[in-house]
Order: sequence, then structure tokens, then C-alpha cells
Amino acid sequence: MQAQPNLALISLSKTIESVLNTAIRLDDMQGEAFKALDDNVIELTLTPIESPLYFLITHTTVSVQTTLQGEADAAIQTTLIDFASLPIQRQLPHAKLSGDTDLAQRFIDALCSLDIDWEEQLSHYTGDLIAFKVGHGIRTLLGAQTNAKQTASQTIREYLQFELEAVPVKHQVAHFCEEVQTITDEVDALEKRIQQLQQTQTST
Amino acid sequence: MSQNKPTIDFGFSDVPIEEKVKKVKGVFDSVASNYDIMNDVMSLGVHRIWKRHTIELSGIRPGHVVLDLAGGTGDLTKAFAKRVGKTGRVVLADINESMVRVGRDRLINEGIVGNVDYTIANAEALAFPDNTFDLATIAFGLRNVTNKDKALEELYRVLKPGGQLMILEFSKVTQPLFAKFYDFYSFNILPKMGKLIANDEASYQYLAESIRMHPDQDTLKQMMLTAGFDKAEYLNMSEGIVALHRGWKF
Repeated sequence: MQAQPNLALISLSKTIESVLNTAIRLDDMQGEAFKALDDNVIELTLTPIESPLYFLITHTTVSVQTTLQGEADAAIQTTLIDFASLPIQRQLPHAKLSGDTDLAQRFIDALCSLDIDWEEQLSHYTGDLIAFKVGHGIRTLLGAQTNAKQTASQTIREYLQFELEAVPVKHQVAHFCEEVQTITDEVDALEKRIQQLQQTQTST
Repeated sequence: MSQNKPTIDFGFSDVPIEEKVKKVKGVFDSVASNYDIMNDVMSLGVHRIWKRHTIELSGIRPGHVVLDLAGGTGDLTKAFAKRVGKTGRVVLADINESMVRVGRDRLINEGIVGNVDYTIANAEALAFPDNTFDLATIAFGLRNVTNKDKALEELYRVLKPGGQLMILEFSKVTQPLFAKFYDFYSFNILPKMGKLIANDEASYQYLAESIRMHPDQDTLKQMMLTAGFDKAEYLNMSEGIVALHRGWKF
């Protein structure tokens, strides 16, 4: 008898398949970018999960499964967290691509290109006015979040650089690098001169 | 019934061999229109998980040619058709015309067209050339076949070298206490549900009986090897209520 199948992995594959196909259906372009990937198979490894998932793309439908006969056309290795945050980040920054890397990159681009007009979808259920207010609220919240992030980053930087003087500012680093380069050049020149003198001494 | 006529099981009764096909056809003609809803009610929706496992383990890919034998209302065909793409093909075959008709209408209504063929086929005499399919499945159908050995030989014949047969079928419950509960459910609750939902107690009584008459896990595995399969294994699901047998032709 075989080992029991990995229920958690099968549930994950089913969930990703459902979410992805719903996103394609709601996408402004109806998943047009996936058409170029027709009849291809992409292997996706989401660390820390060891077993890969296989994405079978046929027309604009994506099927996800845990086993595949033969090799996938392209493989992508990334983290589960990076993949889960792809709809917000719109990129897979640390992905490792193998096999047909062009195909793998096109798959990532297709995933990143999915653009759902949530306000429009919401308006079907709530009407335009409420959908606009919810959308406006979310946009304001996201804008405030970005501002808060930028302000906090700037405050911490200034505190470390000017109050504590724990880290240098940009132009200090540049000046230091220039001085190191100058010393390196001078040492190189000195080394060559010494070598030349040694050769002269040996020949005489 | 003549004493000399060879008989075969039809549920717990014995019928002449040539009559089993007609009787099974009668059962499925009767349940065809309510088949999907009854499956959901009888298994509490778990049949979807069993089928999903089957699809997952098939390892199917675009371009593959698949036979969904006893395909019924097309649950597996639908999933396979999406996966094989326009370069592949799925054949939904069933001995029962009513089931094929329900399956065909359902799939067309769901937009599954272009790469699916529908045919009436007897598992014991498949009208396909040798080495045709990358994958063949028979889900909840083998127990209704009169000559199972012949059907397995036919399935082996139509598979390509490297091809795989998947048999999803009710089997023998492995946990004794659970087996008692399952027997009670099968013979007391299931036929009543059949009467309530499909107004057809007898057909569902047959379904319960036919499950008990079906070969257990190890016997079916041995039958697959005897039919010619080069490798066979099985996987119990839900404590053996259902087993997924897989056989390979190398």
C-alpha cells in the first residue's frame, strides 16, 4: 500500500488554483498575459514547503497539482511569504528561475499583471456610492501607511546619523571610499616601483 | 432460471451473466438525473476529495490523451479536459447512454468543449486501438462490470507504454468498529435516502450490495497484475471506504 497523500499540500494546491482562476476571471484583461503561456507547465517551489506545485496553463485557465508526469517546462523557487504577498508587492524579488527562464519570467509577469478593479466588483453588491467610499477609505489608509513608513524611516536615519553619530551620512561614506581608492592606487604604484628597483639591482 | 446457466452477482443476488449489463443499465438509467446530488448527499461531499486525490496523483499534463471510463456525469473529465489543453484529448466513455447524455450536457453548459469526445463503450470490449491513452481512469464503475478481468485486460491494452490506470472504487473498510457503522449506514440509511431524494430505494440498495461484493484491496491489486500490469499499488482513503488502485504498463 502507498503512503497517504499529503492532504495539506493538496488543499494548498486547490486553494491557489481557486484564487488564481478567480483573479483571472475578475482581471481587467481577463488574464490575457496567460495566453502566451498556453500548454506549458511551471514548477513552483514555495520554501519552506519541500514538495513543488505544478501550474498547468491551458488557454487562460490555470490548474494546480502536486504531481506531474515528466519534467516541467520551467521552474521557479521562491518563499511562501513572497508568493503570498505577490498581489500587493507585484514582484517576486528573490525568485530563482531554472529551465526555460524566459517562460518562468513571463509566468511571473503574468501573475503580476493581474489587475482587479475591486471597487467595480464591490459596486455590483453595494452600489456605486458605497463602493467608492470603501475604495476611497482603503486608498487613504494605504497612502497614510506609506507616509508613516517614509516618515519613520527618515526619523530613524536622522537620529542615527546626526544625534548618535553612529552611522555616517552619504557624502562621508563617499569621501572615505575616495580616500581608500587613493591609498590603494598609491600602494600599487609603490609596489611596482619596488619591483622595478629590485629588478635593476638584480641585473647589476 | 435454468440450473445450467452461468450466473454472476448483482448485488447480493445471482443473475444470468448476460442479464447483469441490462440490470446495471436499469439502475443507472434510474439514478442518472439525480446522480450528482445523491453522490453529494451519500458521501457528505467527501467524493469530491476522493476525486481530487485521483486528479492530483494522475500527474497529467497538457497534450495527454485520457480515457475516463464509466465517466458518468463527467466530474473527472471536466478536470482532465482543463489540464490536457487543446493539444490533448479526453474521452468520456460509459456503457449507459443516459449517464453520457447527462455528462455531455453538463460539460457543454460549463464551457468544456473542443477537446472532449463522448462515446458509449463496454469496458470488456473497448473500441480503441492498442496503445492509445496516457491515462485511463474508472471511478466507481468497475464493480458494475460483469467480467472485471476482461475489462482490466482491455484497459491494459489501450494504455500506451508508460501509461497509467487509476481505479477509484468503494472497497473494504479497514477499521472494524467503523466497518460496523458503515454497514449500518449502507443498508439502513442509504436506501432510505435514495427513496427520499430520488424516489428509488431499490437502486440504492443495489449500490450498497454491489460495494460489498466488489473485490477487496489486495484481491483487486492481484487482478491488475494478472491482467498484465507491470506494477500495481493502492491507496486507502477514508479508512478504506474507497481505495485508489494504480497500475502501470511499461
